[in-house]
Amino acid sequence: MSESAPSTTFSGFGPKAIFVRYGFLIIIAAFFVFFSLYTDSFLNANNLLNIVEGSAILLILALGMTLIVAMGGIDLSIGIAMDFGAAFAIVAMKEYQIAWYVAVFIGIAGGSIVGLLNAFLVVKLKVSPFMATLGTFFIGSSVQRIFTNGGGPISYRRVAQEYRDLAVGDIAGIPTEVVIAFVVLVIYFLLLERSIFGKRMHAIGMQQSAASIAGIKVRNYLFFGFVFASATCAIGGLIGSANLRMFTPLAGYSYLLDAIAAVFIGASIHPRGRPNVPGTLIGVLFLGIVANGLNLMGLNFNTKDALSGIILVGALALAVMQKRLR
Amino acid sequence: MNVASELTKEPALSFARVMSSAPLIIFVVLLIYLAIAAPNLLEPSTISLILKQSVPTVIVCLGLATVVVAGGDDVVSGGIDLSIPATAVLCAGVIADQLTNHGSSLFFALALAIAAALAMGIVNALLVVFIGMTPLLATLASSVAAVGITKVITSSRRINIDHPFIIYIRDGDIGGVPSAVLVAAVFVLIFCIAVHRTRWGMQLQAVGGSREAAEVSGIKASRLVAQSFMLAAIAGALASVFVLARGSGSTPGSEENLLLEMVLATFLGAAFSPRRIVTVWGAVLGAVLVSVLSVGFKSIGVDVFWTGCIKGSLILIVVASAAYTGKAQS
Repeated sequence: MSESAPSTTFSGFGPKAIFVRYGFLIIIAAFFVFFSLYTDSFLNANNLLNIVEGSAILLILALGMTLIVAMGGIDLSIGIAMDFGAAFAIVAMKEYQIAWYVAVFIGIAGGSIVGLLNAFLVVKLKVSPFMATLGTFFIGSSVQRIFTNGGGPISYRRVAQEYRDLAVGDIAGIPTEVVIAFVVLVIYFLLLERSIFGKRMHAIGMQQSAASIAGIKVRNYLFFGFVFASATCAIGGLIGSANLRMFTPLAGYSYLLDAIAAVFIGASIHPRGRPNVPGTLIGVLFLGIVANGLNLMGLNFNTKDALSGIILVGALALAVMQKRLR
Repeated sequence: MNVASELTKEPALSFARVMSSAPLIIFVVLLIYLAIAAPNLLEPSTISLILKQSVPTVIVCLGLATVVVAGGDDVVSGGIDLSIPATAVLCAGVIADQLTNHGSSLFFALALAIAAALAMGIVNALLVVFIGMTPLLATLASSVAAVGITKVITSSRRINIDHPFIIYIRDGDIGGVPSAVLVAAVFVLIFCIAVHRTRWGMQLQAVGGSREAAEVSGIKASRLVAQSFMLAAIAGALASVFVLARGSGSTPGSEENLLLEMVLATFLGAAFSPRRIVTVWGAVLGAVLVSVLSVGFKSIGVDVFWTGCIKGSLILIVVASAAYTGKAQS
């Protein structure tokens, strides 16, 4: 494989070598400089904190996606897991007056249902992860419509303050959601990049049959991966619901493509083109910078959507190109 | 990997046979149930309605089937184009905006829509063939961009259309057969012949079967894959006219359901082909069957929110049985 060949051909300092090594980082820097010059408020400590805070939920979902992609799969149902997390927690507190800290676990368990279904389909029935999670996505969306009678939000204004603080509170001056996202980040980093467990997951992603022959229990790992990723996404849903004090059906869908993009951008930065946790963080921050900058430019809502879509296509194209040149 | 499954082949064979026809059996049972529960389902007027409703899905399926034939039917590394419904809705937005808001001529509006579709096709082909992105990722990203551009064009609003041409496609008929169905039948025939009966189509299938082997025998695989994405985008543009006719205008967000039906119909179609591969005929048949189910469930009073659940489950049954059969055969 070309991946294993050392990149001796690009060891010089020519423009191509620089692009191959730092292409994407240069683009991020360019966007950063552009927004700083174009808008007054972008380069402002408060706004930079906004970017980080606004990226927390996406980071949590993208980390779940990183795990699945590292194992060679893809998960189109991360948004559903997020929605289920929010729905289970809010309904538990609203309808059954369950304490908020128990509701948090109920929410995570609710999100895990999605992962269990995915894992069953992929591991037991041998359906490809794409088709399996696409099916889960459609079923999960439909279930939410049925449950909410067409997609109306379920709001719970009198939610416990501690639960609300998951999104709006702060710990030692740092917003709680940033702290939560950071903890998840560290867990994923240790799990995926610094443990035998993670090495095995990467091995499965690189060549499943070889990993299997080498004695890795591929099925167990896949099963764990899908459930763990969806449980992670449920945490994102908890934060989202705590912020709005309601469960918004189908809200998770909007994070799907951004999460996939962040993972692939991250993989392009990696020396061997593998999905990895630090890369995903950079990808998420890039998307956060673009979204925030476009917002500050005061563009029309629809124009912003179109522009961010086009930037996404360009960024992914560049990321993949950089990876291929290596 | 083949050796291990070769050993378990014999005892699993009969069960595998049943499993491989599971989607067909389930569909037949569902159809019989619907025919009993809603007797008017088999009346000519209902059948004509079902066919008319299925036209947009049928046309986008033509595009997806072509891409899958050229790229191989592995969903992740093979060919797939998830952006066809977004292209269709983009073109529908362009046509509706031109006809209703700008008073352009039909010819100009259609030309602009085809230009937009070609641009989408070029972007997909560039991303996949030139840059080497997986088709799944490339078309997912380009569909998001297309949806965003559609929002700009239509300002996220519904645009009604009362142009005689669109009305004719919606209501007109030739000898009792809806004109939309006739036009669609012509497109189906063209795609079928092109993909399954021409030299070009054979080369396309060769590339999908084994890219390396096709290249060794002198076929320009990249060019064919690029052409398949262009054809898929054109199918999206063609579908847009029927999307407009079905909805009497362009509606934001209508691509999501079209995407679901397209993927379901195309991969369901593979279950009908003798070799369990995606074919144009199979995809068309799949699209019509999905439409029968949609209309059937609606007519026996099943809540519309349930249809996503039912169709999602059907996708899973189809692909699970296909995966199971593949495991038993290979």
